[in-house]
Amino acid sequence: MFVSDFRKEFYEVVQSQRVLLFVASDVDALCACKILQALFQCDHVQYTLVPVSGWQELETAFLEHKEQFHYFILINCGANVDLLDILQPDEDAIFFVCDTHRPVNVVNVYNDAQIKLLIKQDDDLEVPAYDDIFRDEEEDEEHSGSESDNGSEPSEKRTRLEEEIVARTMKRRQRREWEAQRRDILFDYEQYEYHGTSSAMVMFDLAWMMSKDLNDMLWWAIVGLTDQWVQDKITQMKYVTDVGVLQRHVSRHNHRNEDEENALSVDCTRISFEYDLRLALYQHWSLHDSLCNTCYTAARFKLWSVHGQKRLQEFLADVGLPLKQVKQKFQSMDISLKENLREMIEESANKFGMKDMRVQTFSIHFGFKHRFLASDVVFATMSLMESPKKDSSGTDNFIQALDSLSRSNLDKLYHGLELAKKQLQATQQTIASCLCTNLVISQGPFLYCSLMEGTPDIALFSKPASLTLLSRYLLKSFVFSTKNRRCKLLPLVMAAPLSVEQGTVTVVGIPPETDSSDRKNFFGRAFEKAAESTNSRTLHNHFDLSVIELKAEDRSKFLDALVSLLS
Amino acid sequence: MIYENKIKRNEVKSGGQSDLIPTIKFRHCSLLRNRRCAVAYLYDRLLRIRALRWEYGSVLPNALRFHMSAEEMEWFNRYKKSLATYMRSLGGDEGLDITQDMKPPKSLYIEVRCLKDYGEFEVDDGTSVLLKKNSQHFLPRWKCEQLVRQGILEHVLS
Repeated sequence: MFVSDFRKEFYEVVQSQRVLLFVASDVDALCACKILQALFQCDHVQYTLVPVSGWQELETAFLEHKEQFHYFILINCGANVDLLDILQPDEDAIFFVCDTHRPVNVVNVYNDAQIKLLIKQDDDLEVPAYDDIFRDEEEDEEHSGSESDNGSEPSEKRTRLEEEIVARTMKRRQRREWEAQRRDILFDYEQYEYHGTSSAMVMFDLAWMMSKDLNDMLWWAIVGLTDQWVQDKITQMKYVTDVGVLQRHVSRHNHRNEDEENALSVDCTRISFEYDLRLALYQHWSLHDSLCNTCYTAARFKLWSVHGQKRLQEFLADVGLPLKQVKQKFQSMDISLKENLREMIEESANKFGMKDMRVQTFSIHFGFKHRFLASDVVFATMSLMESPKKDSSGTDNFIQALDSLSRSNLDKLYHGLELAKKQLQATQQTIASCLCTNLVISQGPFLYCSLMEGTPDIALFSKPASLTLLSRYLLKSFVFSTKNRRCKLLPLVMAAPLSVEQGTVTVVGIPPETDSSDRKNFFGRAFEKAAESTNSRTLHNHFDLSVIELKAEDRSKFLDALVSLLS
Repeated sequence: MIYENKIKRNEVKSGGQSDLIPTIKFRHCSLLRNRRCAVAYLYDRLLRIRALRWEYGSVLPNALRFHMSAEEMEWFNRYKKSLATYMRSLGGDEGLDITQDMKPPKSLYIEVRCLKDYGEFEVDDGTSVLLKKNSQHFLPRWKCEQLVRQGILEHVLS
């Protein structure tokens, strides 16, 4: 059931108890977790934090811990499946689920006792009505009971029997119609996967309601929202609306900076709203590198071709930036050039067909040296979490990434920035090679691309978020590179090798790229059906149902099934 | 050995072999020095055993007990008893456990991260917490201090 008053029905309930937090492995979940941890530490709530990266880990961790806790909080996992069925908890276990995955499973919505959803109900949920899906089973039993009660005269019995038979067949027909309607409703409801409001923002809202919100928590909420935008999980309109909401909080917390007399010391955290360039990590890199490795500019300039490189040079000349300046570190560029940089770049970008060069975002600074845009932090944390070190396990990376969000661990954040640079460069190189060697083939209802084992940096793309990002960028670049109008509207299925010993590949499905797409992804259900129909050995382990693991031998029959399913 | 040396000296004195006396004196001094070194070593061991009580609590792990002699164990037990009597005499009826909180505590609860798999760990109200690698917990300070000192938990400062 949906929790209406977060404070009374959630926070005050857990405040006096010990809780277990299950946190999924994405940046939004990390931010929500940090906000909740700060609140719990403020109120001395004893908690245990367990990172989980998939359904199997969630189940194992739950089995290990279930005797010790009664209250469980799940962040960014668990809303889109039947939780009680998967976890099989005891009667008195209570789950609080704060998840951005939609659609919310109907069992979770209508279970009043054990599952409480920390989701705002105006979040465009469109849950089907209760009566359309659930029906009491008692009516059939009443029927068979009254049948055996008949003991009177045969003639009366016969007419009554006939009436009863007629009534029963009517009821059965009604029931069959109802069930067919139910299947349709559920199919429509569960067909598309999408994402709702960021969990970090939900947690920040809770903190604000209790008047315990701080600037740090606001920054984490901003990073959570920006993560959803970077990974293309929400529509542009929703992003702008949410930015507006956060902007009000930012001005509430940070208004002292405008006043010259009462300004805070330079070392204090300041968050400010920026209408800044869309180039990834440009302040920590050189402008040239950033232009080459941001998907937005790389796709529109078509930087994988020689012609594209020339266009980039033209663009820089148009802006008025000398090549030598542009190739050195951004912080060492001439101040005269940096002054009006954003406006100059935007003007020239408009001439070259890039209308959205600037986006609304936020930046944080403390001290003279440390200044970060929200997207910088998102890229850094994502790279830390998915860095493919051989000897560290998934939870080590999680802990690293969690630490990097604290202000006292800036060295980890800078390390994350370096990793993010490598990741972005590897992504662009892989995209360039895929497009130049025509690895993206049309299978009919979708495009298909498969990364080979020997591709450089293939280890970087075995994790789901990196692979998803690569696939999205690849689709965007492909749309700009192809002349075939029909291909531009097709979705993409991408496969990358996961583990050589077990012979598995990770398969990701991306919805088609259109200007006003609502980011709804149907590949989750499509993959499930295709796997069932061909008996392929798949593992639907990730919380995002559109990412699966597949045995390499079953790849071709799986794809064939997918083609027939979607055409 | 010193005793033998003294006897030898007396013999020499009575025997009148006066040119052996410096040798005997030298040997005596070196024997005294060796004795001093041995005593210093034993005293240092005692000090370390005393520190063990503060570090590990009243029950020592088996590996350490293996390296201690029987007399040292007895000394340890007696030290434990006198420390316990002292602690009981402080702070009113129940006594005060002064081996807790070696540094002034900043808060009642601390955030700890588990570095190795430890297993179940009992908390005040009888329930237990499973300490697995890389899980983070927010627990009362006095319960965690032992494990932090042993290196199983790590205090997370944020």
